[in-house]
Amino acid sequence: MTAATPDTVTTAAVLLATGLPFAAFALIMAALRGRPRLCAGLSIAAITVSLSAALLLLVRHWHMTAPIGAAAQWLVSGRITVSIGFLLDPTSLLMLTIVTAISFLVQVYSLGYMAGDPGFARYYGCMSLFAWAMTSLVVSPTMLQLYVFWELVGVASYLLIGFWYEKFSASEAGKKAFVMTRTGDVAFFLGLLLVLVHFGNLDILKMNAGDVPLHMPPAMITLSALLIFGGIVGKSAQFPLLTWLPDAMEGPTPVSALLHSATMVAAGVYLFARLFPFFRLSPTAMTVFLAIGTISMLLASTMAMVTRDIKQVWAYSTISQLGFMIMGLAAGGYVAGVFHLTTHAGFKALLFLCAGVFIHTFGTNDMFAIGRAGGRALKIPMICMTIGAAALAGLPPLSGFFSKETIMGRLAGLSNPLWLGAGLLGAFLTAYYTFRLIFAVAVPAPEKSGDEAPVGAPHGGHGGDPHHDRHYRLMAAPLVVLAGVTLALGWAHGALGRFLTAVDPGLDAHPAAHLAWLPYVAIGLALAGVLLAWVEFGRTASARIGFVERVEPVARLFARRWYIDDFYRWFLDRVVYARLSAFCDQGDRRVIDGGLDAVARGTVGGSRRLSVLHLSMVQYKMMVIFAVMGLLTLYFFLG
Amino acid sequence: MVNWMTLSPELFYGLVMTAVFMVLCLVPANPRRDHATALILAAVGLAVTVGATGMRGDLFVDTYRVDLFSQVFKVMLSLGLLLVVLLCSELAGVDEKRHALVYLLLSLCTLAMMMLVSAVNLVTIYVALELSSYCLYVLVFLRKGQARSAQTAIRYFLVGASASAVMLFGLALIYGAARTTSVVALSAALPQLISRPDVLTGLLMVLGGFFFKLALFPFHFWAPDVYEGAANQVAAYIATASKVATVAVLIRIVAMAGDGSLLLVRALAALAIVSMTVGNLTAIVQKDFKRMLAYSTIAHGGYILLGILSMSPEGFSAAVFYAFTVLVLKFSCFFVLAKVATDGANLSIDGLAGLHRRSPLLAMVLMMALFALAGIPPTIGFTGKLFIFTAAMAKGHLVLVLIAMFNVVVSLYYYLLAIKAAYLTEPAKNLPAIRLSVGERLLAGALVAVTVCAGIFPAPLLDLAEAAVRTVI
Repeated sequence: MTAATPDTVTTAAVLLATGLPFAAFALIMAALRGRPRLCAGLSIAAITVSLSAALLLLVRHWHMTAPIGAAAQWLVSGRITVSIGFLLDPTSLLMLTIVTAISFLVQVYSLGYMAGDPGFARYYGCMSLFAWAMTSLVVSPTMLQLYVFWELVGVASYLLIGFWYEKFSASEAGKKAFVMTRTGDVAFFLGLLLVLVHFGNLDILKMNAGDVPLHMPPAMITLSALLIFGGIVGKSAQFPLLTWLPDAMEGPTPVSALLHSATMVAAGVYLFARLFPFFRLSPTAMTVFLAIGTISMLLASTMAMVTRDIKQVWAYSTISQLGFMIMGLAAGGYVAGVFHLTTHAGFKALLFLCAGVFIHTFGTNDMFAIGRAGGRALKIPMICMTIGAAALAGLPPLSGFFSKETIMGRLAGLSNPLWLGAGLLGAFLTAYYTFRLIFAVAVPAPEKSGDEAPVGAPHGGHGGDPHHDRHYRLMAAPLVVLAGVTLALGWAHGALGRFLTAVDPGLDAHPAAHLAWLPYVAIGLALAGVLLAWVEFGRTASARIGFVERVEPVARLFARRWYIDDFYRWFLDRVVYARLSAFCDQGDRRVIDGGLDAVARGTVGGSRRLSVLHLSMVQYKMMVIFAVMGLLTLYFFLG
Repeated sequence: MVNWMTLSPELFYGLVMTAVFMVLCLVPANPRRDHATALILAAVGLAVTVGATGMRGDLFVDTYRVDLFSQVFKVMLSLGLLLVVLLCSELAGVDEKRHALVYLLLSLCTLAMMMLVSAVNLVTIYVALELSSYCLYVLVFLRKGQARSAQTAIRYFLVGASASAVMLFGLALIYGAARTTSVVALSAALPQLISRPDVLTGLLMVLGGFFFKLALFPFHFWAPDVYEGAANQVAAYIATASKVATVAVLIRIVAMAGDGSLLLVRALAALAIVSMTVGNLTAIVQKDFKRMLAYSTIAHGGYILLGILSMSPEGFSAAVFYAFTVLVLKFSCFFVLAKVATDGANLSIDGLAGLHRRSPLLAMVLMMALFALAGIPPTIGFTGKLFIFTAAMAKGHLVLVLIAMFNVVVSLYYYLLAIKAAYLTEPAKNLPAIRLSVGERLLAGALVAVTVCAGIFPAPLLDLAEAAVRTVI
């Protein structure tokens, strides 16, 4: 398949959508850092134009039958070509709209949330950097260009998490996120190199065109698919690289809403959808993806059941839902996965932004403390969060219900019933932990609410602020918009499905199984989860202890994230730092310290003793040099 | 009849520059005058070298060849010298009386390395290598506080002397097998002899002399001590210009072996892997900024060797491109170092704290350079690594590239430590803002621009590197 040439309006719109945020970023960083309000205005203006351009593109090309793209040669060396440009097809158009829309809403919301912050200008600069990198990632026509922006969104994420400078944990979390995702990118990049060397091309359309098997043996395709999937595992925080995402919640809440739920982490799933025909060439790889998605979905759900931190719950649920999307795609459901990606972006951004209002108002992340402080008095966020939660739990008629059903249908179509069972279990757990949070905030424990905080009067760090009302309105407006989207988007299922498969009907070739009982079972399980949450947390008289927390070892296992982090910590401390780095460092460290001492003391005896040590250390180095050369010589003679 | 015009860069550095500074060494010291003279002469030298890029010729009974390959490297060398001289406006690490001597030795060393990249006879190569090394030994010694710098210089000298011994033995082995020391004759003779273990051993030992210069395992021991013990500007010179010259001659030597032998490739691969792993893992625990850079240099030597051991035109040109990358990026780091540590002292990583307040421009130069060293796109560091890894993959070194990529991730960890110090850590006490002159601001801007632009548009540089490499294979 080749891309059609774009007309002038399309080219201009793409350039505006991707270029303006960069211009805003450059201007803010170069000249305007001293004028925070102007920076915010500039950034929001840029993203508004981007959003309009994206919507224009979506409407213009709603009936597209062939992808549209333009590319220029960037590097030609031997039989390897790399080009830069843009590529528009239904998936990228949809994703472009999602990214610009959520960016726009979050930037408006941040006007209230970040007001008065000393780093206001820098915050908007980084937001523009992210918008530029993410929109450019979405329209990339080649994997190399995609990889470049893939790393740049990582940089933006690093800068935005470490945004609150004074918080040590934030900068640590930023670093952890960056290094962990880059670990996944090692595999990703290696996979790309494999394709580049064997196939000679990283053009997305060509990789998907189906003639890859002519150039690469099946084992090589499987290997490169698995390696590329490594990047998805890192970026979308899937097992075993999932622990960076909860820590990344140290960043400001709008950042969590934009990067760490709706868009950046979804880039992994987007990449899966992008290379879907390529991945499908290897059934083995698809099965591995299915397993990774399932494990991540279930693990993260269990973690969400025990945490008290409101943002952590949504973070775990993001991992879990991304895993669910990967399950859907790996089960062959292209439309199912992309549709869930779309609905999830809406309701998860909504949930985070609601959580942000609570955190902003009450100054705490603890859901029970928010409940006691009178969280339900904030009407708009409370209602919106309940809508989002119901969508996440998969209750009709909200958007989440429809997209979850399509994935369930796909899972039911697989020959092994295990996957469907896991999916249904996940639906139950999701409903349980979601409504545990809702009830914890909405129905505070009665005995404590009396003495600590009068119900119905929100107060906290911002209570006495005269600007508070204006900030509250600025934050509430995006919530209402997103809640409306969550209510409506489910009905667009059919239209979106037709749009996504218009260019390549082969994408969704195998129809899903239609089991009449499946929706009822799924709804039943979701309702059972809600009911259980109500029994344990929702009644005034309930003990507010989850069934998991009654079994101490299991609760600890979940709360410690299945000891995955402890394993990494142990590995880094014991193996890398204590053994390897220390061993490598040992040789010269001793010499240097000895040398300093010798100069400092200057005593004859001390110097003599240390100079013996020196001499021996130089000898030791010489010995290594000659031993290595000798061994290699031996190797030459014996080999 | 020798056409002296082809030698204009060597003549300029060898006669004009050394003569001027020899005179300046004898008259009473005046640091400002010395620096201005050095700056003007280095700039003229760069112009002369650029002007001589079109020269071609074989000189001195075919022991000396002027071709595109050597001229490209000579431009990089004189650029490196000019950059380092720019840093010398505050040469606080060296006694004022000896500034002229520093410039003299720097120009002499540059001359020696120019001879190194042009030499096509093993004996000439050896002599040029020794000349450049001896200049550096003395330069390291010249730092204030001589008890310490003498120690460092002697250790540097000891490792260097053993590397030279190893190299001489290797030369003898090769001469014994091929009965010639001319690189041209050897390129014809060696591919038939390459399966003999004594020839392989000889080749490896000759390479050992350059591994010392490049700070590759097992000849890397001197680097951290020397970086830490030498004056900041001298360390900058060792980290930039000296590495560039070594890459050139490594390519010349390895190219002699033709397609190479599996044994040699495996041996080089082992050294490359150990170098990057040792370098990166040790860098993690460093507290001193220069020591960290030294270990990062050891690791980068490993990446360069990865390109060279591919033994393909793509691999060689990737190595040339990467040499330029290292020149720019390491210089950026040392530029920041020299401006922050104006007293000429060493700088701990914590000493970078609050840099983004003291000088946003310097903080940005540092961040871009470190991100580029860690291979973050779209910087030149990413593009350089892309070329090297692609060339290695094309030769089927999958495991090698995998290990290298993991090393790149490990390196990100300690680069982020420095970035964090510069941007996120608050200094214990309020430090004054760092003032930059207009020229320094321009230089900082140029460094960032090159880091990004050459990353996005590498084609002209890569074409040049490919054209240069084509003349040696």
